Amino acid sequence: MQLKNVIDSPCGLRFMLDELELQSGFARRWLLDSPMMTSGEEIMASYDILRRFCDFIAQVEKIHIDTLLFKLQGLKDIRTTIRNLSQNAVLDDIELFEVKHLAILATDVAKILNQHGMDGVVEIPALDKVIAILDPDGMKIATFYIYDSYCAQLKDLRNQMRQHPDQQDDLLLQASDLEEGVRKDLSVQLHPWANAIEQAQIALAQIDVFLAKAMQMKQMGLSFPILSSDGTSQYVSMFNPQVKETLAAHGREFQPVDITFGMRPTLITGANMGGKTVVLKTLTMCQLLFQFGFGIPAASARIAVKDEVYFCIGDEQSVEKGLSSFAAEMKNIDAVIKASRENKKLLALIDEPARTTNPTEGTALVSALLKVLTGSGMSLVMTTHYDIEPGEARCLRVKGFENGEMDYQLVEVQDGEVPHEALNIAQSLGIDNEWISMARNLLEASPQS
Amino acid sequence: MLPFIDEIMRYDSLSIVGLEKNTGKTECLKYVLDRLPVRQKRMAVTSIGIDGETVDQVTRTQKPEIVLREGMFFGTSEMHYRQRRLVSELIDVSDENTSLGRVVTAKALTTGKILLSGPSSATSLKRWMTEMRRLHIDLVIIDGALSRMSSASPAVSQSMILATGAAYSANLSTLVSKTTHVVDLVNLELTDEYNIHRFLPIERGVWFIDGDGDLHSLEAMSSLSKDIRFEGMDDCKTLYVAGALVDGFLEKVRKNKSLKQVELVVRDFTKIFVSPQQFRLFLKSGGRIRVMQKSKLIAVTVNPTSPSGYVLDSDTLCNRLSEAIQLPVYDLLKNNEN
Repeated sequence: MQLKNVIDSPCGLRFMLDELELQSGFARRWLLDSPMMTSGEEIMASYDILRRFCDFIAQVEKIHIDTLLFKLQGLKDIRTTIRNLSQNAVLDDIELFEVKHLAILATDVAKILNQHGMDGVVEIPALDKVIAILDPDGMKIATFYIYDSYCAQLKDLRNQMRQHPDQQDDLLLQASDLEEGVRKDLSVQLHPWANAIEQAQIALAQIDVFLAKAMQMKQMGLSFPILSSDGTSQYVSMFNPQVKETLAAHGREFQPVDITFGMRPTLITGANMGGKTVVLKTLTMCQLLFQFGFGIPAASARIAVKDEVYFCIGDEQSVEKGLSSFAAEMKNIDAVIKASRENKKLLALIDEPARTTNPTEGTALVSALLKVLTGSGMSLVMTTHYDIEPGEARCLRVKGFENGEMDYQLVEVQDGEVPHEALNIAQSLGIDNEWISMARNLLEASPQS
Repeated sequence: MLPFIDEIMRYDSLSIVGLEKNTGKTECLKYVLDRLPVRQKRMAVTSIGIDGETVDQVTRTQKPEIVLREGMFFGTSEMHYRQRRLVSELIDVSDENTSLGRVVTAKALTTGKILLSGPSSATSLKRWMTEMRRLHIDLVIIDGALSRMSSASPAVSQSMILATGAAYSANLSTLVSKTTHVVDLVNLELTDEYNIHRFLPIERGVWFIDGDGDLHSLEAMSSLSKDIRFEGMDDCKTLYVAGALVDGFLEKVRKNKSLKQVELVVRDFTKIFVSPQQFRLFLKSGGRIRVMQKSKLIAVTVNPTSPSGYVLDSDTLCNRLSEAIQLPVYDLLKNNEN
């Protein structure tokens, strides 16, 4: 699975990518194409590199960082050219220019990084030989043409052109044969370097991405996670950067949440507007951020690696595709159940399953779902408004409405009994009094209460 | 050599715009490129085409090749770069794709021919020009496309040359009056600094300043809105139209008694789409139109021959037009022969 497959997940991952200050379009494409890491070692190695880049931007003077960022803006996607080169094609002037441009860029970037003790953090192949081939006069500027010094005869012809503009067409024709010969020769010389050039291009994209991630960590106050080896994940003061930003724009603060989950299924209950969905979205996002090597929006985080991450939420996109919301949801959850029978490490986050059907069948469906998934070894976090028997599940509850204010903290409770606060909350929203009091009367008259 | 060459050197950018196909825009570009002192200044030339097509969409004729002199910089498409007939050094390849490939910037190392097809929109043209400034180019010349006045927008280029001729109208009087109208628009005076400062960031809608100097929106999307009402504007001195200015709106302003002698401000002349009649009536009734950005009209050139073969008398045309617009008018072909 690549980042581009999950970028539009309803968990809001796109916000993090949109906020990432990448310098080149190529780095963005490379990042979107990168696969989700599923090995803890690989993830931690990537964080080690990111840590180096965080130190780099914290310690190095801004002017050097700006120079580096400016250089990286010049990174272009020349994969077609590299492919042509590796397939023994004769490169044209524009392609030769692209190769030279990239080689000089890679050398410049490596130089800046090396000057600040970053040599080898991201391996950039040395391309001095490539530059030498394309810079016969040793000018060290990233421009290119078939230089006079490649061929004495060519030089003569060009001088003649300047002296006899009337014979230009003839001379150009003769020169073009010679130029083609030079291009052939250059392409042959460059061919063995195709792989190194490709590596350099990827290395530059990686550097762009690491720098952007490091800047994002600083800007959003993200943290480095610890790898959890026991299958449980623990977040302290987790926050959702997008919601936090929206709230800040309205002069309000995001209340961070602590949560631990993992081996046993976790059931979250709580009042409406208690932030349950935001918790699930953020957990999903954090898991993906972790496995794509981004900073984590929490004061601290210990995260277990998963093979697959499922996030099931009443998904409006499916509704747009013509599925009813119930059908869309059932199919999504069905996929989780099927996956749970394979031998994989899974994380599933399911938001209010069966919410759109009647409470009697809904409660039955959710209770059964919990039973089916319990013992499958997956990490499950599920929210619900239905009163269900928790069984082995751990129950968390949003603290809820206290003294006219919502407390978004999660507290562990012994059973899954759901709070009955909907009417109070509706009342606090200033909803029509006739409606709410009538509902209250009906509740009091009903045999259940 | 005609005197306007010296004047061109005073600006950092020049666009050459033809009022119609075959009005001699390319002749004018060639004339300018042949005579500019390439050793004194770093110059770059490009073209803004309708997505850079090789064949002109209107006349189906091949786009002309331009002769560049050694030392000139140029921007063209990848495809036309590959077809170049000169030796040149590649400086940059842009990320932006046109139908003929990316825009390539290079420097001519010998004199020779090139097909010009540059950035495909005013925005990307601006970006290209910024890049030229980074390369310390002193003067950028833009071959403006037919019906693409935006390339002559003062937001893009500081100065312009207008090419007109029998192809625009074969009737001498009509040609003179139609050309004069365009020249009048180009030469509209700037509004005062304070207005520019206030209006420049506003990119849409219709606005007015009341007697107390307060700015109000007319709650209209543009001057095209049918339901624009001028109410409570008795003390209005200044009206600002952020987008296009059209006939209907101008007429409404003129017929509104409380808006006599109002100053109507538009961004620049490329935003004005009013007929010569409405324009004149508006000025006669005491109204004024001012712009926030203005480019210097350096010269008007004429081609007295229409594509259908009809030929106007060159001297009469030059004199009549020059008298009407109070600017020198040149027939470059004729001048070339002498």
